[in-house]
Amino acid sequence: MFVTRLLNLAAFVSMTTLAAGPAAMAQDGPVSKGGTLIYLEQQAHTNLYPPAGGFYPNGGVLNQITDKLTYQNPKTLEIEPWIAESWTINADATEYVFKIRPGVTFSDGTPLDALAVAKNFDTYGLGNKELKHPVSEVITNYKASEVIDPLTVKFTFTKPSVGFLQGTSVIGSGLVSLKTLALQDDALGDATKIIGSGPFVVASEVLGRELVLTARKDYAWGPAKLAHQGRANLDTIKYVVTPEDSVRIGALLAGQAQVIRQVQAYDEKQVLAKNFVIHAPPTRGVNNSVVFRPDNPLVADLRVRQALLHATNAKEIVATLFSAHYPQARSIIASTAQGYVDLSGKLTYDPARAAKLLDEAGWTVGPKGIRQKDGKELILSAYESPPQPQNKETLQLVAQQWGKVSVKLVVLAGDAGSRVADSLDPLKTPVAPAMVGRADPDVIRSQYYPTTRNVLLQKGGVSTRVQSFVDAKLNDLLEAIAAETDKAKRMALVADVQNYVIDQVYAIPIFEEPQAFAASPRLKGLAFEAVGRPSFYAAWLAPK
Amino acid sequence: MTRYLLGRIGQAVVVLAVTFTAAFLLLQVLPGDAIMIKFMSPEMGLSADQIAEIRASYGVDRPLWEQYFRTVGNFLVGNFGYSIQAGVPVSHQLAVNLPPTLLLASLGFLAAIVLTVILATLSNLAGMKWLRAALQSLPSLFISVPVFWLGIMLIQIFSFQLGLVSVISPGPVERLILPVATLAIPISAPLSQILMRNIDEVLTQPFVAVARAKGASHIWVLARHVARNALLPTLTIAGVLFGELLAGAVVTEAVYGLNGLGGLTYQAVGNHDTAVLQAIVVISALAFVTINLIVDLLYPVLDPRLGSKLGATT
Repeated sequence: MFVTRLLNLAAFVSMTTLAAGPAAMAQDGPVSKGGTLIYLEQQAHTNLYPPAGGFYPNGGVLNQITDKLTYQNPKTLEIEPWIAESWTINADATEYVFKIRPGVTFSDGTPLDALAVAKNFDTYGLGNKELKHPVSEVITNYKASEVIDPLTVKFTFTKPSVGFLQGTSVIGSGLVSLKTLALQDDALGDATKIIGSGPFVVASEVLGRELVLTARKDYAWGPAKLAHQGRANLDTIKYVVTPEDSVRIGALLAGQAQVIRQVQAYDEKQVLAKNFVIHAPPTRGVNNSVVFRPDNPLVADLRVRQALLHATNAKEIVATLFSAHYPQARSIIASTAQGYVDLSGKLTYDPARAAKLLDEAGWTVGPKGIRQKDGKELILSAYESPPQPQNKETLQLVAQQWGKVSVKLVVLAGDAGSRVADSLDPLKTPVAPAMVGRADPDVIRSQYYPTTRNVLLQKGGVSTRVQSFVDAKLNDLLEAIAAETDKAKRMALVADVQNYVIDQVYAIPIFEEPQAFAASPRLKGLAFEAVGRPSFYAAWLAPK
Repeated sequence: MTRYLLGRIGQAVVVLAVTFTAAFLLLQVLPGDAIMIKFMSPEMGLSADQIAEIRASYGVDRPLWEQYFRTVGNFLVGNFGYSIQAGVPVSHQLAVNLPPTLLLASLGFLAAIVLTVILATLSNLAGMKWLRAALQSLPSLFISVPVFWLGIMLIQIFSFQLGLVSVISPGPVERLILPVATLAIPISAPLSQILMRNIDEVLTQPFVAVARAKGASHIWVLARHVARNALLPTLTIAGVLFGELLAGAVVTEAVYGLNGLGGLTYQAVGNHDTAVLQAIVVISALAFVTINLIVDLLYPVLDPRLGSKLGATT
């Protein structure tokens, strides 16, 4: 049994590396053009306002129909030219000037020029109250745009904004025509209204059920350094929303579809057994973790948090619930993320030490087998996060592990309203699952800073329930990452913040999340952007 | 008769108004709202001020009575508002989702009736005792089979193994075959249980013995004398079941990836999408009211005795 498991493991590791490498593409013989690709999505897309592209079904559509100012090479993570041919940044990163590639048009025929780029980023950077467009998460300190000439645009910032260049390459910064920007936010759930300049165009849509994209014949402005140039190889992509896991996999294996998104680790075997391919691109951001809300007195004591860190056996979680595509976490950010440092020495599983730390902190085992102090029991609760893979099972396993040191973790399900409301209250959710994908160190700031995602619930954020918790040292470090223009110094800060978060045990990282896709062996040239959304630009279907 | 009809329509309007108000109030009582779920979720990374502005722009910071009358006014002119989560007008969602649900529910219901009649007739005509017992226990089996399991099994066997129908890119008729079967089987179960019992009951009535004594065959007795009498209670249940079908096809729609009201409701409930839910509640109430009205009007057609009573009261 053990040997077979090992063999299977080896088989799919080699398979994914083969499928991912460009060398494999070369062996596949001549590229065949045309054809229709059928792509099965688990969920329907929602509002397609580009900054809402973080939701994977939305990103999967936007990545085909919009272009970005810059292209982040998913292997090197370097920023390369795309719609911007070149750019200059001033010394303190408060002024960015982009030269726009000439001749680019949106699919409605209007030009993608400096004015269009300026209007896009004005909306993403400042929001639009009248049309209800919110501000993009990836753009910080935005002040204004200036059209210098028809193909040159300048952006200015109130404070240094080092993450902006990478921010122009993400799904949330997809460029859309002025006509789309003029629509109110409530109307952007209709994909046919999203006019981009990308290699595919929305041809038709049955809301919530299917979406048909067709290739743009005159497309000639793909990222400059990509091997594939010109129009897309495929003629048509048909997205079909198929919520049921077994139906997606069954349809793929039966040849009714060529690629599917969201394959759970326990389903990988049956896909590989039929010689189909698993693609598991990493999301390169903050790892799937449980985070603490130290405003809650139960977890305010560092020793309690340290104890829970040592009581957590991430290795067992990965081995029990996941596969080789889900590496065990060795820091708060993924090993494929920029500035990652290996902190596995600090993330050891040591239940004896955990018990000792809890004893020292004054939490002794009570009559019910749960630790207590001053008459209060150490019972923590967390809401499951449905978008994360097997999050409920993960939290339940964590609860079992913590149970061994007599700490109780209650895993709550609840409706979306209660979840959002309670997640803003540290007394109701002292523990929370968290993860976010983005290939720039700015992602750490997004995750922890009070005015952004604020996973620790510091005072100063959206929540009104926080009493007093603020960590000024953490916030200074996060601000410094956003402002540091020297790359080496910035990476040193990124290392500092990883160490600081683990030393304070604000988070217990568990695993690095991939996006899991399964594909027919006929599908070649499938690529993924830096955070794991599919790109069908160079994809093609080998003859049967 | 006209007065009776007008009275019923008046009742229906009252039911709709009460449903609308109750739904509005209940949706307000729930913790959180769609705007909070969408914009306050940490993924949007918005600040408290930005969220307050968005709330003001949607008018959810206004007093409750003002929101209520605004919603009523909008509904009366056919403006259902926007789905906050999906980012499209609710009327667009209804236009896309209502027709397929109506079609699926109607066909599933028809198929269930056909199945019911076949089962009830066969179980009555079957000569052998064991066959009769087997047929009569089928409804219990049908009602115990979980719908999602049935759906997945039908797909696995007929689509993936035998390749007879496609579930991913089917033709317009092909698309409906398996979902209709999936819906019809559990719906036929209560119908045939009731019909079978009623037939058995009616068969013990004296007039059946008289008809038999006059030399009528078993089929003749069933078709001419028993059927009409056994149908009334079945019809009542059928009315209720059809109403349930409209909003209750959630599982079938999810398994087959069909768009429809079920899936829409599920999404809207999950996201507290008030505008969508309000519209769905009103449509469902309208469907129930209409169907019950039709059922009530059908009674006298099937049983003239009820017609004369009705006439007497008006």
